[in-house]
Parts: sequence; structure tokens; C-alpha cells
Amino acid sequence: MKHDNLSSTVSRLPMLLFIAWRNVWRNPIRSILTISALAGGLVMVIFYAAMMDGMVRQMIFQATAISTGHLQVHRQAYIDDQDLYATLPWSYMEKIAQDFPEIALAPRLYAAGLASSANTSNGVMIRAVDPTREAQATKMLDQVRNGELDLGLADASKEGFPRYNLVIGAQLAKNMELLPGSELVLVTQAADGSIGNALFRISAILKPLDPNFDRMGVLMSIEAYQQLMYLQDGFHELVIRLDDVNQLEQVQAGLDQALQQLVSEQPLDELGGTPQARNWRQLVPMIADMLEISKSIVLIVGFIIIGLASMGMLNTMLMAVHERSHEFGILLAIGMKRRWLLLMVLFESFFLALVSALAGALLGLAVVGYFEQHGIDLSGTLPDGYDWGGIIFEPVMQVHLEIIDLFSACALMIIITMLSSLIPSWRTVRLKPAEVMR
Amino acid sequence: MVQSILRCKNDSCLFVRCVSSFSILLILLSLVAFPARAIEVDELIRHIDALWRGETSQANMTMTVKTRRYARAMTMEAWSRGKEYSLVVIRDPIKDRGIATLKVEDNIWNYLPKINRVTKVPSSMMSGSWMGSHFTNDDLVKESSFEDDYDASISFEGARDALPIYELTFIPKPDAPVVWGKVVMMIEQQTLAPFKALYYDEEGLLVRTMIMDQPQQIGGRTIPMRMSLQPEDKPDESTVIVYNNIAFGVPLEAAFFSLQNLKRSR
Repeated sequence: MKHDNLSSTVSRLPMLLFIAWRNVWRNPIRSILTISALAGGLVMVIFYAAMMDGMVRQMIFQATAISTGHLQVHRQAYIDDQDLYATLPWSYMEKIAQDFPEIALAPRLYAAGLASSANTSNGVMIRAVDPTREAQATKMLDQVRNGELDLGLADASKEGFPRYNLVIGAQLAKNMELLPGSELVLVTQAADGSIGNALFRISAILKPLDPNFDRMGVLMSIEAYQQLMYLQDGFHELVIRLDDVNQLEQVQAGLDQALQQLVSEQPLDELGGTPQARNWRQLVPMIADMLEISKSIVLIVGFIIIGLASMGMLNTMLMAVHERSHEFGILLAIGMKRRWLLLMVLFESFFLALVSALAGALLGLAVVGYFEQHGIDLSGTLPDGYDWGGIIFEPVMQVHLEIIDLFSACALMIIITMLSSLIPSWRTVRLKPAEVMR
Repeated sequence: MVQSILRCKNDSCLFVRCVSSFSILLILLSLVAFPARAIEVDELIRHIDALWRGETSQANMTMTVKTRRYARAMTMEAWSRGKEYSLVVIRDPIKDRGIATLKVEDNIWNYLPKINRVTKVPSSMMSGSWMGSHFTNDDLVKESSFEDDYDASISFEGARDALPIYELTFIPKPDAPVVWGKVVMMIEQQTLAPFKALYYDEEGLLVRTMIMDQPQQIGGRTIPMRMSLQPEDKPDESTVIVYNNIAFGVPLEAAFFSLQNLKRSR
């Protein structure tokens, strides 16, 4: 008997589908309005997901590729308070480069100083890199906003003092009114306690690497740094880029082990503490958290937008069921099974949802496609980019849509609308033919 | 002077209580011996502010900086006029010779002979180390104006370790651009020479201690010739400044403290 029921339902499915489809278009204006509300909501969700994904990608790119790398090695005292003397010897780097041929690494040195131009002075953070190695490990040196990147020896000053080239952060350049070609004086306390001072020429201005660098960053070659700081025997930071990010934990553990062995072979002074490797999630925990949060935000926003749009759907279907209650009464009276009626109403909702999903997805793809090509240009209102979660973004927002996001947005919409259409279809089931036909 | 004594009596200071039953003679005697015993706060502050400075001054001093990593000594020559002008030039070691610091009002400039440039120290660097020592740039500028930037009070007056002292407590005025939350200074009553100063941060934690000793009589005042600064968070580090000589009343025009002269000062 049960089997019979099922097969009779299945055999009538095409007819039910056909009737449902025709029913949708009995009131085309109402249906089209509903569809456009749902499709519009879907477009918004798709676009929002694409925008968040674009930001997340930009964030990870900024976090790793540009300056932080995937892993960094420091000594404890450097991590704690940027101790100038907490250096790792150069031999460590050579040894690590030998032991881990598959990774790209670059040494860096840091110091605090005072930069002065003819008119102004500003506290700066000096960062020194090895240009060849840095180019292999990060894209830091590609981030030129204007000027031409050069960290070598520049032409001498008017009085014949030697000068090195350096590059500076955009905000610092703006605050100090510096341009490529300007002269900069750096004063600092050298490692031997003397007053380190030297003349430099600005060769280029860098795009924002991070808020600190943008505001007070000065980048020079290790050679120039050593002459300024009298700090020859090591480096503060080793930046590491992996070809395969999936090996992060593995390489990190390997590095820690290699460092331990190096320390036992070639002991370091006590004050600087032990060296350790940290990955980018540890180095910039804000971003790792932000990635998690942004996923939940997209989902919540999607629920809200589609939930609101599905109210329109609910209204349409309630109207449709209400104005056809007489018709449904007759159908029931001549022997239509209630579950078929339920199915038919559900199919109507489903068709509405399906058409909306198709339209919304196509329109969403078109909108996202346009902005993927052109980006969202905010440079009119935010010429210097914007700072979000400690990361500076370029003023042109990148948009990127994962195809899985498109499908899940459609699925989310269909599920929510189908849930909301349970209310009108439940009403049809409870119709009393005798009452409605009166 | 009589007014001062009366004020002292009203305040029922220790001195008056101790000697009130003795004769006037004894009071007069003691006034001769300790002329500044019944001193007022304002007077005391002005005395401290002007102690190493006078109207004008010229000094030769040696600064020894000891850190965990290095120890180095610098010999410097310093001039000052009032509390608005001062100039310090490094004479030794050779590497830093000729580096000069000029202070005019609230501004500090450094002159760097190696590159023949004058740089201005911005207000954001005022708490930065001065010439690699534990003194800050702010010490150079603001320390000279206890009178302007702090509300002072005598928080203790009497004998401590058998030495009669005044203890002055300085609390920064609400809008004063200072880095300390509180400064406590101990001064010997007899000579009016400060011998210890404690610097606290805004949370009330002791940040650094300055010991002043080796007093000498110069120009009718007792001046501590050695100042040792001890940062609390680095017990194995210190900066010591020793005055090799100091002269007051040297003829110095305001024009001496100019950027042009800064370059010539080597």
C-alpha cells in the first residue's frame, strides 16, 4: 500500500511540476517582483562574500609575501624589547641555508634613530636588508610607490661627504616633505655607545608595508647599516619564505631543532636569549583571528539579507495560496490528495527560488567580474589606503570570488526560502474544502 | 629673616620646638651657622633650579656611561645662560668630538661635525636618551624648570640618618609636558645641597635614582660635583657625570647660543 502511494506520487511528479511552473506565471508581475527581491539579495551576498574574500587574500598576501614571510627567527631579547645586541651570528644563517636548501631566507637588522631633513626631524625605525636575499624571500623591495629602488652608494653630498641610498615609508615621506632625491640625516646610538650619524639620499618611497613602516620606516642596505651602527657580527631577524605553505609546521619544527643544535655547537652570549622560529600566525595573530572572523561575518550577513528577502517570498506565496483557496477546495473535493497539493505549493516556491538563484548568480557573477577587473577605487576618499586590523590596504580594493562561495550563497538562499514557504504550504494542507467552497 | 622665623614658628617646625626654651641668642647663633634653615619652598626650588647654572656658567665635565654592553667616558664642555640657554660640546673621545647640543628655550638641536649638519630633536624624542646616556633629552630641557612645571611641597623636614634634611616632593602641574609622575628630592639643610632625587612614573613606580655627592664651595654655594643616575630596571647600568670645574658669572651673551655658533663651537 505504502509502495503504491509512493509510486503514484512519483508518476504524477511531472504533472505537478508542470502545474506548479504554470502557477508561478499566473501572476507574472508579482512573481517577477519576488524574484528580483530574492535575486537582488543574492547579488548582495555574493558581492559581499567576494569583497571579504578579496580582503582576506590581500591580508594574507600583505601578511606573508610582502614583508613578514612565512617564518621568522629571532632571539628572545629581540622579541621582548628589540634589544640591539640580540643578534645571531652570520654563520648561523649560512648553516641554515645549507641545511634547508628548499627555503628562501633573508637577514634583517633593525635600530631606532632620528631622521632629519633641512626643516623637520622625526623618530624613525631603521631596517636593513640584503637586497639580493630579500628579493628571493619577500616582495618588500617591489613595493615602490615612486622613485627607483636603489640601496647602493649614492653620489656624494655637496661638501663631498659619502652618502648611501635608502628608501622610506610613504607617510613618513609625506610628514617630512621628502621626495626621491632628497637628503636625509640619520642620528642614532651606535652599538659601541657613540653617536652614529650619516648622510643618506632617498632613492624611493615605498607603499605601505605595515602601519609602523609607513609612518616611521627607513630601509637601507646591511652594508650602510653596519657603517652607521658599528654592529658587524650578526643580524636580528631571519625571514623565511616557503614554496609549499603546507609544510609550515614541519619546517618550523625543523628550524627550532637546527637552532638548538647550532646553539650547542656555537654558544651565544647569555643576555640575548635563545633563538626561536615563529610562523606568521604567531607573528601577526591579528590576521589569523581576522580570517576566522571574516568567514562568520559573511555567513551572518548572508542570513540577514536573504532572510529579509525571503519575507517577500513568504508574502507572495501566502497571497497566492489565499486567493486560490477556492480552487484548492475544489481540487480537494474532486479527490486531489493533500500531500500532492502540499508538493505543488512547495514546487511553486522552489521554482521561484530557483529562478531567483539563477538570476542572482548570473548578475552577481557579472558584478563581481566587473570589479575583479577594475577593483573598487577608494582613492578619492582614502588616497593613502586604509588600515584594517593593523594592515594597510591599498586604496583600490581587490574583489575575489571563490566559486564555492557562489554555490553556497545560492544553496543558502534556496534553503531559507524553502523553509519560509513551509508556512503557506501548511495552510493548504489544513484547508477545509467545505468551508472554502462556500 | 624675622618673617621667616615667624613662619617657622607657626608651622611649629622641629627646629623651633626643640629650641624654643633656649635663649634668643642661641637662635641667632644658629641662624649664623645655618642661614637657610627657615626657608620657604619657593626659595628652595629657585635655589635648586639655579644651583648648577647661576646667571651664566661654564663647566667642564666628564660623563661615564656604563651599560651591560659597554662602558665609555665622554668629556664635555658646557655653557649656560639663565634657564633658557645652554650649549654642550663633546671634547673627547675623538669619534664624537665636536658633537654639540644647543638648547634654546624648549628646543634642542644637535650639531654633527662628521657630516656638518644641524638636526632638531623633535618633541617626540624628548624622552629619548641624550648622547647615549641614561639622561633623557627632556632632562636637558625640562629639569631646569622645577619652578615652572611642578607643584612643590616640603614633604619631610628633619633629621634622617642623623642628617637634617628637607625632602621636596614635586608633582607635575596638570598640563606640564613632563615625563615623570612624581619627583622626590632630598636636600641637606645645612648646605642646601641636594644629595638624592627619586623619579617616579605616572603609576607611582620608582624609575630612576640620582645620587649627588662630592660637594664643593663655589661662588658661595655648595654644589655637588658628581651626579650618578641609576635606572631601576637596569641595576647594572648607570651614568655618572662629574664636574671637573664649574665657573659662574662668566660673560655670555644670548647670541652665543645660536645655530651659527653651534657650528663654530668645535
